[in-house]
Amino acid sequence: MKRVLMAASMGASILVAACGGTTATNTPATGAGTPVPPAAALQGTGATFPAPFYDAARFAYNLKYSQVTINYNPLGSGAGISALTKKVVDFGASDVPMNPTELTAAGGADAVVQIASTLGTESLAYNLSGVSNGQLKLTPQTIAGIFLGTIKNWNDPALAADNSGVTLPNQAISVVHRSDGSGTTYIFTDYLSTVSADWKSKVGKGKSVSWPVGQGAKGNEAVATTIKQTPGAIGYVELAYVLQTNMTQASLQNHDGKFVIPSPEGATAAAGQYLSINPTQFSIVDAPGPKSAPISGYSWLMLYKDQADKTKGTALVDFLDWLVTDGQQYALNVHYAGLPANIVKDDIISLKTVTSTGTTLLNVPAPS
Amino acid sequence: MSRGTAAERIVPPPLVAASRQRRFVSGDRVFSVIAYAAAGLIMLIAAIFIIALLVPALPAVTKFGLGFFTSRTWDPVRNDFGALAPIYGTLVTSAIALLIAFPIGLGAALFLAEDARLQLLRGPLSFLIELLAGIPSVVIGLWAFFILTALMRDHVDPFLNHTLGFLPLFRGTASGYGFLTAGLVLAIMVLPIMIALSRDVIRAVPRELREASLALGATNAETTWSVILPYARVGITGAVLLSLGRALGETIAVTMVIGNNVQISASLFATGYTLPSVIANEFTEANGNVYLGSLFYLGVVLVVITIVVNVLARLLIWRFSGSARATA
Repeated sequence: MKRVLMAASMGASILVAACGGTTATNTPATGAGTPVPPAAALQGTGATFPAPFYDAARFAYNLKYSQVTINYNPLGSGAGISALTKKVVDFGASDVPMNPTELTAAGGADAVVQIASTLGTESLAYNLSGVSNGQLKLTPQTIAGIFLGTIKNWNDPALAADNSGVTLPNQAISVVHRSDGSGTTYIFTDYLSTVSADWKSKVGKGKSVSWPVGQGAKGNEAVATTIKQTPGAIGYVELAYVLQTNMTQASLQNHDGKFVIPSPEGATAAAGQYLSINPTQFSIVDAPGPKSAPISGYSWLMLYKDQADKTKGTALVDFLDWLVTDGQQYALNVHYAGLPANIVKDDIISLKTVTSTGTTLLNVPAPS
Repeated sequence: MSRGTAAERIVPPPLVAASRQRRFVSGDRVFSVIAYAAAGLIMLIAAIFIIALLVPALPAVTKFGLGFFTSRTWDPVRNDFGALAPIYGTLVTSAIALLIAFPIGLGAALFLAEDARLQLLRGPLSFLIELLAGIPSVVIGLWAFFILTALMRDHVDPFLNHTLGFLPLFRGTASGYGFLTAGLVLAIMVLPIMIALSRDVIRAVPRELREASLALGATNAETTWSVILPYARVGITGAVLLSLGRALGETIAVTMVIGNNVQISASLFATGYTLPSVIANEFTEANGNVYLGSLFYLGVVLVVITIVVNVLARLLIWRFSGSARATA
């Protein structure tokens, strides 16, 4: 229900922005010099994590170019990959890029173009009476300890050492995690595997893992609500949900040893530490840099390099080109971070490789 | 059976002219073809369903075999899967649901069917029960998630721990989520079925039996215990089994309160998992043949459990009542 309200308010704000701002909507060559896309109806499905951003963006794009309608069905990253492989959608979305096995099933690594579409970060939200927002400080070691079950009580000496001046209660820690497979879980367990050798050998990383402790809840909303309802609870939640529901979140110690409260700016700072990412080297968790938010990650869009329908293909690459450039403003509205310039450049270079019967579909100048 | 009675209705009386009669006979044939086709279609759908479940399950069946039923591991990272914990959770939550719903449901059904003194209450109560049956499970799940979990954690579980804590069932810390809460939610969901079906069965007990019993000097309670309930036993068993079927397969409401944790624990306060919940939670993001196959394998297990329950129920009914009344 929260999401519906959110989407409605987002829609309204975009409408206001569109009415008050640009007046020349259907005239050629607005924005970043892109030509007017042909009329088409595009279908996409996949990850739930970036869905609020895609919804806002496709709505705004449709206001700009009313002849293009884009449907996005957030069924999960796995559904996005399999729907693309079966060619029942024009684009798929996933929080983790397609792996070699999935690429082989889809016709090989050269058949599919994968671009980073947005950037998000995760928070550790908690429910402790008397400990206000950002007051609880967690280090990579204590986070791993809590989720491995070696730190069981809030008055544990390991936690007290980092939190002088804060009275942590004598209360059992209730760990809350996602029960459904999700990119959020992938990024979080990728982080734990990076900072803790114990976690890496005992649990590992994945969209679903075998959790040593805690209880599972389905979706970011349910994890957030369970934490809010359970005294002594802690769990990892998408930053957007934490900010929208005013949850208390911990300061996290990053690679440089600085304590930061996760924010979109922190995600951008973390992403900025990596000059280049690609579908096999894409992890940006535990990034160096004083401002980096440690549990950050990209979300991805996939499409076929060879588009059978030239009209549709042209509309698709035009939309995606807009999404990674002008469209990024809609990411900030819903608490995702804007893509760094170097990644936008890589995305456009990738999109320019999309063809239909040998013709390049995206006619924008190659970024320098 | 319905084909027979319908055919009887269509067969014309002998006085009708021969030409008209022939037309009726061919109409009868058309009808019987349609009826056979409909029956065949049901079997075809069932067969397609079983195949569609078994084929994707094959990678997991060949990898784990029967060991799937005895393994407690569910590790998507290492591709190692076992169904013991979700099977345990499914059976335990359904058992709790029936233990709670059976006495309450039977009592309410007896009241609605038998007690004539509160004639005025009967209509509104029946209406409320049907209303409860019509509430979508996701709404019940939301209510349980927001209200019931806190109630269990702060009041019910501590009380049980305090009074019955000598049993391993009621030990351990209560988070409000877990087997007991899930069982309670299921009990609420199966109650309307239990009440409505039992009430109709009890109402169907012939009046002569009641009157004969009362005329012999039996009290109302004695009549209920020794005449009405034995007579209605088959139908009530049917009501229990339909309730069990609903409890075994319920997904969303259970997922919201069971805690979704792959573990087996003697304590009813502990979090657990059920077969439908695992499938609902992990299906969208399951990648790889073995992982997806294991989820389908869980589906096969769920179907098998349901079939076994149904077969046991049939046997039970036959044993108690002879095949003549087994149609209930």
